[in-house]
Amino acid sequence: MSASTTPGLRIDDRLNPILVKEVRQSLRGKYFRVLFWLTLGLGTLIGLSIVASLGGENSDETGQIFFMAMFGVLSAAVHGFVPFSAFLSTSAEWDENTYDLLVISNLRPRQIVQGKLLSALIQALLYYSTFGPFLVFAFLLNGVDLLSIVALLSGSLATCVALTMLGIAASSLASTKVLRVVLMALFGAGLVVAWMFGMGMAGTITFQPQSLRDAEGQTAVVAYVTIALLVAMLGNSVANSRFAHEEENRSTSLRVMSTLVVLCASLWGAWLHWQFGGIGSLWACHAVAAAALFVPWIFFMTEPEPLGRRIAAHVPRNSLLALLAMPFLPGGGRAVQLALLQIALAVSSSALVLLPSSTPVEEIVKTCFLVGMAYGYAFAIAGLPSAIGAFFLERPSARMLLRIFIFLSLPVGVILPALAGLFLGIREWTRFEHPFNPVWVIADFEMQRSGLGGLIVLAAGLVAALLLNTPRLFAAARETLAASRARKAAPKPSSSAPVADAPAS
Amino acid sequence: MSALEVQAISKRFGTLKAVDDVSFTVHPGEIMGFIGPNGAGKTTTMRICSTLELPDQGDVLVDGISVIEEPRAARRRIGFMPDSYGAYANTSITDYLDFFARAYGLAGDRRRQQVARVIEFTSLGDLVEKEISSLSKGLKQRLCLAKTLLHDPAVMILDEPAAGLDPRARVELRELVKALAGLGKAILVSSHILTELAEMCTTVTVIERGTMRGTGSVAAIARGVSTKQIIFARTLTGPERLERTLLELPHVSEARREREGVVFEYAGTQDDLVTLLTQLAGAGLGLVEFAPQQVNLEDVFLSLTEGKLQ
Repeated sequence: MSASTTPGLRIDDRLNPILVKEVRQSLRGKYFRVLFWLTLGLGTLIGLSIVASLGGENSDETGQIFFMAMFGVLSAAVHGFVPFSAFLSTSAEWDENTYDLLVISNLRPRQIVQGKLLSALIQALLYYSTFGPFLVFAFLLNGVDLLSIVALLSGSLATCVALTMLGIAASSLASTKVLRVVLMALFGAGLVVAWMFGMGMAGTITFQPQSLRDAEGQTAVVAYVTIALLVAMLGNSVANSRFAHEEENRSTSLRVMSTLVVLCASLWGAWLHWQFGGIGSLWACHAVAAAALFVPWIFFMTEPEPLGRRIAAHVPRNSLLALLAMPFLPGGGRAVQLALLQIALAVSSSALVLLPSSTPVEEIVKTCFLVGMAYGYAFAIAGLPSAIGAFFLERPSARMLLRIFIFLSLPVGVILPALAGLFLGIREWTRFEHPFNPVWVIADFEMQRSGLGGLIVLAAGLVAALLLNTPRLFAAARETLAASRARKAAPKPSSSAPVADAPAS
Repeated sequence: MSALEVQAISKRFGTLKAVDDVSFTVHPGEIMGFIGPNGAGKTTTMRICSTLELPDQGDVLVDGISVIEEPRAARRRIGFMPDSYGAYANTSITDYLDFFARAYGLAGDRRRQQVARVIEFTSLGDLVEKEISSLSKGLKQRLCLAKTLLHDPAVMILDEPAAGLDPRARVELRELVKALAGLGKAILVSSHILTELAEMCTTVTVIERGTMRGTGSVAAIARGVSTKQIIFARTLTGPERLERTLLELPHVSEARREREGVVFEYAGTQDDLVTLLTQLAGAGLGLVEFAPQQVNLEDVFLSLTEGKLQ
């Protein structure tokens, strides 16, 4: 048996290169070793202190306190140190000038991101396995049941994955040193908040274990895990697109991901409707999805219009396929197509969920209208300024300013009328009950109050956004079809097939 | 077929035209020096060749593969050594090379052999377990060259590889580059140190303010710059008489005394040169030395460029 055919070496060959490098670096470096022993030492010390303070007595509360203390230390490690080290590891690619070297290697962006995530998860796994005996001891002390421990560990793992992916995504965005420092501070602060939130949740589950015994409590845990995993997938898409080269297609994976958010909202809405009845949960899921899509839509709709040369070279040759792929290709005009497609998907899926049930027709229409309103607000706020700004989107600085402007226009649109209400003496406005507050307008409509002002503002915004974006929509379609025709007319490159996967020799 | 073919590429960054209609080719076994003042567009051109930037116009073919159409296939044939080479912290030489070998898709015995081969080629064998952070700049540069060689690229693009190196490291790097050309690799190398390039390059391309000023062998470019040849002659009767005689002969100009002889510019053909030599030999001056001067890369560079920055 030659060296390369031993099973160990065969597995070694298949490992993600980034994972191998990161693990080797962690083992050689001080950061992981010091933090690991520090965490373990702290856990042991706290555990011994609590056991010593028992004085031979044992009650449910003792087990709960012991569990909370151990979970607190574990949580600091897996929700703090691990995501932060993933952030540092990715930003080191910028600091150490290795970013270009990775981009021009055979590694695909997803391999780079997966490698970073996996190495972080290996660290997390070490922490979980180290703290496993402490958690078992807490269980043996009574006070914490198995369901609570499983629910908390599931939630903790999903949170760890989501925070790690956010860390990788955030540092992949920071190409300049100043931005890296700012993002590092913000991310660090965010981790502290996440730890406190996690401890709050853990406290609720530990001290009120009955909260997990009903369907609502279990649904809440599953919903939390789903949202955490969606956040992780979104972070993954952002990091993937950042590790793709500037000239490559950085938009399609994020567009697919955003469509997945709509699908997920539809599925959750359908499940909640079947489980608990009513229409509230259905449109509420879509309202959350619409809020989540607002930021990606801003980025998509303000992308430069022309397809890059490298992207145009990959538009499907078949015209029909090109038209189907069009909303997922980069460019502001194509982003408008994507947004309309996603709105149609959300509204039609809501109708499909409600039609087979015994829901009255007017309720179905109302739900579809509410879903449409939620996405419609996001579309109007992102689509209107981006259509106007499309004339000067070529300059990256102008694009960035426009994105910030659109993002701020939502809170400013909500706060400014409230301030104006103070001076004008309009009490409703000071309570944020005005047509520019989407939450109030939607809630007003849902409760069938007289929310006509808000509907008029929304309708006007939607019509204006659609009209102003019409030239972009057609131009985007024309460009996509032209690229498809150009590819069809061009001879297929003869060299691609034999060289596709073989290294040069 | 040329290994690297740059076809009329142009690249703009906002209002700045970084590269404007640049074309040249590099053949297997050829070392092409890429010279130009700061901000001339050298690095942008090299990054386009390495698939790191996309040209606004034109294309680059690497072994016949377009960097626009098939960047991944092109990358497998390119070894790019950027001016700011990357090195990871807490990583030994072996781990660093092993990582990049994996990143280039090498597996099993082939990966181990290739890592060993590049370590041997770059003479890093005694330092394999050393951490990269403890290496000198010259050794780091050699390590980066070793990394560039891992996937056995047909084309090597080296951006300022000799920058900041001490004289010994420069000589070692030059010998390595020459050895690589001997292995049939096409090499495009940029440097500010013209004497360094003159000693290793077979051809040069001069670029200034994004525009190409000339490409080819140093002698060929020099011929393009000036039709005159510089010749040194020495006689036993001394330089005064020789100078007088030379200035009376056709095609001779700008004669000046230097090193007990005379350096003069000659604008005639090769046949005229034979006649000139015969005339000098027959003039009873005791001609002991007659040597056309080697063209200096520095002179070529200075005559082609204006020294203006963008």
